[in-house]
Amino acid sequence: MKLVMKFGGSSVANGDCMKRVAKIVSDSVNQGNRLVVVVSAQEGVTDQLLEASEEAKKGNLNYTREFIEKIKERHLNTVKDAIKNQSLKKEIESIVKSIVEEIEKVLTGIAYLGELTPKSLDYVLSFGERLSTPILCYSLLDIGLNSKFLSGKDAGIVTDSNYGEARPLMGLTKYQVKQKLEPLLDKGIIPVVTGYIASTQEGFITTLGRGGSDYSATIIGSSLNADEICIWTDVDGLMTADPKIVPSARTMPEISFQEAIEMALFGAKGLHPRALEPAMEEGIPVRIRNTFNPQNPGTLIDNKQKIKAGEIVKAVNLIKNVSLVNISGAGMVGAPGTAAKVFDVLGKNNVNVLMISQSASEANISFIIKKTCLGKAMSALEIALLGQGIVREITADEDVCIVAIVGAGMRGTPGVAARVFNAVAKKGVNVIMISQGSSELNISFAVKEKDGENAVKAIHEEFGLSK
Amino acid sequence: MRIILLGFGVVGQSFLQLLTLRYNELASIYGLRPRIVAIVDRKGAAVDERGLDMKKMLKVKKEMGSVSKADDKGFLNLSAEEVIKKTEAEIVIEVTPTDIKSGEPGLTHIETSIKNGKHIITTNKGPLALALPALMDLAEYNGVYLRFSGTVGGGMPILDLGRKCLIADRIISIRGILNGTTNYILTEMSEKNIEFDEALRKAQELGYAEKDPSLDIDGFDTASKLVIMANWIMGKKVTLKDVKINGIRNITLKDLMDADKNGKTIKLIGSIDKELEVKPKEISKKDVLCVHGTFNAVTFVSEFAGEETIIGKGAGGMETASAILRDLIDIKTNLSARMMA
Repeated sequence: MKLVMKFGGSSVANGDCMKRVAKIVSDSVNQGNRLVVVVSAQEGVTDQLLEASEEAKKGNLNYTREFIEKIKERHLNTVKDAIKNQSLKKEIESIVKSIVEEIEKVLTGIAYLGELTPKSLDYVLSFGERLSTPILCYSLLDIGLNSKFLSGKDAGIVTDSNYGEARPLMGLTKYQVKQKLEPLLDKGIIPVVTGYIASTQEGFITTLGRGGSDYSATIIGSSLNADEICIWTDVDGLMTADPKIVPSARTMPEISFQEAIEMALFGAKGLHPRALEPAMEEGIPVRIRNTFNPQNPGTLIDNKQKIKAGEIVKAVNLIKNVSLVNISGAGMVGAPGTAAKVFDVLGKNNVNVLMISQSASEANISFIIKKTCLGKAMSALEIALLGQGIVREITADEDVCIVAIVGAGMRGTPGVAARVFNAVAKKGVNVIMISQGSSELNISFAVKEKDGENAVKAIHEEFGLSK
Repeated sequence: MRIILLGFGVVGQSFLQLLTLRYNELASIYGLRPRIVAIVDRKGAAVDERGLDMKKMLKVKKEMGSVSKADDKGFLNLSAEEVIKKTEAEIVIEVTPTDIKSGEPGLTHIETSIKNGKHIITTNKGPLALALPALMDLAEYNGVYLRFSGTVGGGMPILDLGRKCLIADRIISIRGILNGTTNYILTEMSEKNIEFDEALRKAQELGYAEKDPSLDIDGFDTASKLVIMANWIMGKKVTLKDVKINGIRNITLKDLMDADKNGKTIKLIGSIDKELEVKPKEISKKDVLCVHGTFNAVTFVSEFAGEETIIGKGAGGMETASAILRDLIDIKTNLSARMMA
């Protein structure tokens, strides 16, 4: 089989982790698979780079110097623990050192200019993967696997110049990735590619933004028409609920792309919808697996929607740190454009809306936003809408959370909502707001924050998700 | 609307009292929902991004001397600059005391607010007298509103009368009695037949004059108001340096008695014509400008409408607070229009 394996930041966090990953790769090779490996930055490094570039922008050269030492030490320690062969160790050490020197030059440049453009930020952020990738490559060489490291650019991933959240030019990318990586695979070499980073057609480094390294893996997987894309992380897979809330929650063995996207949108720890797109289009299965528990087969995401009898709801998630805003006024009834104004104001102020509900009476609109945006949102709405004779009152409830239920089996099954709300009512939980998309893949509703966990437990139990 | 209040003396406290008195009316008539997210006084600050309890803050200030002593919201030594930079808010209200020499700390507060994209309302004349053309330019460039109705005439809408009500007409000159303290002193001298020093002492006892009365009696306060009117109403790019200033320190009882013989009296007149001037002048007792006690009066001479005079109380906490509220509603209306466009 032709596989793409992507290893997340926690999977390559230190030398022991690197060895564990090398073992997984070697086991797979021994089973006769041909592999491309995609690597994230070591856990926490990208955030540190972000902070270092902000400090550099302020002209803080001391911070830069300390940061450089810290990052050099961390990666050299990883090398020390991961690689035995002395001559390989020497080689990779000098690679790491020269990359760190480059970081220092770039950060110093930023500090002197006092300027951090999205383009230069992408350049800085690329270093996390540019350091972790060669180290993993050498860890493979160390155990006798033939491998070669490449940057996303070397691998042929081309994007537009929307720095910070670049979009791949898919046609060109697919062609180039095939050209670059297939010859390596044919020679029995394992390409180890940096996740998250790519380049413009002129060769400037870009980053893929949300979805990051997972996106790189699915882009490469779809370019090579891989048999499966494996996302190795630190959990067993997508779960029916947060095990901290429902101890009996279990890993779902199988789920469709649509369901996975719904779950991702509801904040479940999984893949970003953007990252799922290339795999979904080509119908390549994506499997989420645990580096620290490789025996577990994980969760398989694919195009086949096999709805088993009686399987209606797949998973239930809880979204916390949200606030409900209610806009009311008799003047809103039959006034076209009111909703447009509300969401236009929110959009202009960069406030993302998670959930919306309006009753047919039109006398109020409720929606849910992230708690961190509440102050900004309330103020902007009050300034824009109050005193115009249409909206009379804008109120907020900070004490809420969203319960989101996902499952393809809900489509066309009568009585699902009744079961959901009955189960919740039995626990004495009051439902504040309800929303169901017409795709019928999900139902979400808001309850008081203190009731959130009880509601999740009730639904998990009602639909027998532990079994 | 989220507001940062810098300075919590008489004006700042009056403003909060006014908000609590008018809270429901402000929402229903003007669509204004003010939220005071931070108050800074000499000793520190109180911050709450959801909005401080205004009544509680007034109580803390009264009982403990500083809002920084408020139990969970207070921060000792937290500076105004830090608050402006780090607290999310739409508006900064700057009501710290006037320093006519350096303009500080108000000048830094105003500059920082503008550069951080926060609209600003001030009653502090110092920064405006020294740098109004620069501040107006900076505000326009950064797309924020700079308003200061309370700096001239307390609660009287002098600036708006000149700029908004006489729109389309051309104002040729302005003259007026713009300082209540000096007017009180001159009135006392003339009515009670006392010398300057005694009248000043009385004014100080009544709280009309400061311990260091120089700002008022040497004419700087009047001159500052001229600068503000010249910039705002007449579009003249002037500062305090462009004003010829003479105070009332050297006016004697004899001067007043001599004027009286001719049916006149002496008033500290500020005028904007070809030039800006503050000077004690003899005026007819029948002149419409000739108001007494702490009253102020301003006459606009316009090309078509002729002369209009506005008379009223030129100072006071609640009066000035009402001017701040006017500015606040004005900014809210502008922002609302901007957002809905």
